[in-house]
Amino acid sequence: MNERRVLLNKIKKYDFTLKELNLYLDTHPNCQRALSMFKKYKELRINAVDEYIRRFGPITPEQNNDMQRWSWIDDPWPWERR
Amino acid sequence: MNLDLFDDMEGIILREREASMNSVNMRNAINGDSDTSRFPKNTPIAMAYVPVQQWGETYDDDKALSRGTLFPELDLPFSGGGDRK
Repeated sequence: MNERRVLLNKIKKYDFTLKELNLYLDTHPNCQRALSMFKKYKELRINAVDEYIRRFGPITPEQNNDMQRWSWIDDPWPWERR
Repeated sequence: MNLDLFDDMEGIILREREASMNSVNMRNAINGDSDTSRFPKNTPIAMAYVPVQQWGETYDDDKALSRGTLFPELDLPFSGGGDRK
């Protein structure tokens, strides 16, 4: 598996864990352990997404930071497995 | 509805967790064995009850994604035939 896919898989895992904690917290809004785990995974996700954008380009269009070129249209698209 | 029934909700939850660790107890509960029943006496029939999830172990993010849940106690794959071997 190439580095791009490894990083994308990492983001996928973090997203899933955050969604699970989100659903748990919806019914347990004062659970400190869930809250601190959510915070931890939120930071992991932010860092992984930042690294992905820096190295491989935007995952969503609004992440386009290039003021010379609309790099969103450059291959490969985030979901293309290469 | 008599809400006094739910005074011992914490106790019910604990018993539920213990019972879920042991399929024999679970079967007794389903069969209405009064010693191991997860419900208080005089629980109205024909009502649906959902035990409240308690914080416990969590899978790591790798395993969570592949199992489809972060929580081992919710990792309950449905397989044809139930627990019949």
